[in-house]
Amino acid sequence: MRKLSILFAALFIGAFAGVAEEIVWMSTQFVPIAEAEFIRNEVLAPFTEATGIKVKFVGAEYAEFTSRVQAEYEAGKGQIAVLCGLHGDLSPLAEALADVSGVKTGGTIPEGLTKLAVIGGRQVYVPFVQATYLMVVNKKALAYLPYGVNPWALTYEGLLKWAENIYKATGEKKLGIPAGPKSLLHRFIHGYLYPSFTGYQVLAFDSGAAVKMWNFMKELWEYVNPAAPTWDSMDTPLLSEEVWIAWDHTARVKQAIIERPDDFIAIPSPAGPFGRGFITVLGGLAIPKVSPNPDAAAKLIEYLTSPEVQVKILQGVGFFPVVAEAAGALPKGALQILARGVSAQAASPDAIVSFIPGGISDEYKKIYKDTFFKFVVKGEPVDVKFLRAQATRLRELYLEANAPYPAPDGG
Amino acid sequence: MPSPSFSLNIGSMDKGLRKLLGTDTFLPYWLLLPTLIFIGIFFLMPLFNAILLSFRTDNGAFTLDYFKRMVKDVHFIEALKYTFLLALTIVPLQVVTALAMALLINTGFKGSRFFLYLFALPLGISDLAAGLIWLSIFTQHGFLNSILYSLGIIDKPIYYISYQNIGLTFLAVVVAEHWRATAIVMVILVAGLQMISKDYLEAAEVLGARGWRKIWYVILPLLKPSLQSALIIRTIFALQTFAVVLALAGDIIPVLSGQAYFWHFLYRNSHIASAYAVFLMVISIAMTWGYLRFLRSRAEVVRA
Repeated sequence: MRKLSILFAALFIGAFAGVAEEIVWMSTQFVPIAEAEFIRNEVLAPFTEATGIKVKFVGAEYAEFTSRVQAEYEAGKGQIAVLCGLHGDLSPLAEALADVSGVKTGGTIPEGLTKLAVIGGRQVYVPFVQATYLMVVNKKALAYLPYGVNPWALTYEGLLKWAENIYKATGEKKLGIPAGPKSLLHRFIHGYLYPSFTGYQVLAFDSGAAVKMWNFMKELWEYVNPAAPTWDSMDTPLLSEEVWIAWDHTARVKQAIIERPDDFIAIPSPAGPFGRGFITVLGGLAIPKVSPNPDAAAKLIEYLTSPEVQVKILQGVGFFPVVAEAAGALPKGALQILARGVSAQAASPDAIVSFIPGGISDEYKKIYKDTFFKFVVKGEPVDVKFLRAQATRLRELYLEANAPYPAPDGG
Repeated sequence: MPSPSFSLNIGSMDKGLRKLLGTDTFLPYWLLLPTLIFIGIFFLMPLFNAILLSFRTDNGAFTLDYFKRMVKDVHFIEALKYTFLLALTIVPLQVVTALAMALLINTGFKGSRFFLYLFALPLGISDLAAGLIWLSIFTQHGFLNSILYSLGIIDKPIYYISYQNIGLTFLAVVVAEHWRATAIVMVILVAGLQMISKDYLEAAEVLGARGWRKIWYVILPLLKPSLQSALIIRTIFALQTFAVVLALAGDIIPVLSGQAYFWHFLYRNSHIASAYAVFLMVISIAMTWGYLRFLRSRAEVVRA
């Protein structure tokens, strides 16, 4: 009898210890089964081996994620130790999230990205992964770089001169912007052009700076391959060398670099008078205020932001690293080339990070694209009245949805 | 062995079933029922829904707002223009070509069957695939430019597909559409030609009509019903042309059906998408009515 009770006690303690070492990680990302399995087997298993902390990875849809975190916060007691979500998933929950500015990271995260996680004076998440759009350049184009133009710190003026140089030398329009019906042209306009030229993506839609921007774009368009309005992604025209310099989403240029890694480099998008506007789809790691294991959560965050793990995540699920050291840790090849560009863009000193509008009607895409089509593709003179009407409609869309303007405007 | 006719079947049916189905009078309607159900669910219901969507807000109030916004859309006038231009260019071209192909095959020369299959080949290719095939020909570094370059005809690639040269882009679309969809007209016309009794043709020859005169005065009038259906089908499809234009010309040449698609799938406003669809339907109905009215065969005109 006595022996039995000792056995029970031992079992109880053992089980208790086991529970104490398991933490819950809830995430809106990596939800598809293949991705979740990758996270569990390739990312978390080595972490458990090294630290003895078991991590239970739970994928969740946005609605479930939000209500769960909110409910635990209101109850003052929680089970979830650590969270992963896009900026748009985490920022509405800021009140329920602990300040993580003191959490150690496994690599250097650019200040431009960390700044975005500061809501109400507190840093509520640690930047974790990103996806973005950048420029891919065929090395042949480098021979035509105008004097004083640095591709790693490109400006729109420099890009114009560069494309003009190539045109004068080869007679061909080698600049590529995806402007087809299913392209991501709207991202280029609201996340790159507008912030670079006006500082905002919504607020200055019909400003004088915007008029200047459209006139510049008409000039640049002279050197864009005239088939651009048929292109939905730039990998094909890059491979066929119909263009040498192209802008697009990393996923839409990747194939070109995979097929011919020696021919291309990826560089940051250009900067305008207000700075280097670019979009970051930013994922972050957060610790709820009511997290039962904040120390273990901090250890997990340090592990997940180490260059090796960041590289692993890029290779496994295609999300790019946020830490500067990761690009160097990648094996030579397409992903390294892209990661260099992504890192350089994220770390640029004149960065203006834009977020993708959330919660509003997709009609906003049409507003940006139609304006481009009218002024740039059709070549009609920049008409302030039309700009004003489009701006009004755009603001209406935000009002109708009661949605905040995304960064850099607000949010 | 002759196959048993319907009445025989009915006769052998047991009483209960016969009572249920009614007599011969109702049988055709029973047989039509599956088709009617199919059309009702997959054609009439969506049609009705589209009409509702285009006139009603989400709160159920009647509105013309969606049509107003459609008309004011940056792409509307151009889409309307190019939809009609494409139909007006492609349909006559296709009818003439298809007629020539059908007459050629109908002469029954040796190997005519081979040509029938050869001509019909593009029918088996989806329209988007056809568009992509022609894109690989017309693109800047495509087959056409490569051939012309290697023959020394050009020293720099020509931009066939270019917003700066809409005429050439339009031509590329016409060529691709012509290649892809002429066969359906040809098949209808071949069937029509084979229904023309040899007696008429022999009579025409006895009376001295040969060559063009025979085609013009004998074959064409007798082919009118087939021509009519071919024209109706082709015109409606031409108004709906979408995939080939999308693949070849993207935003350079907007068409109405493309705008409907974009509003629905890219900008997620099914109201305005439906407005486009309803607008296209009205045009199609008007065109069909026009064909039925003006291409009546003589017998119908006399009866009317």
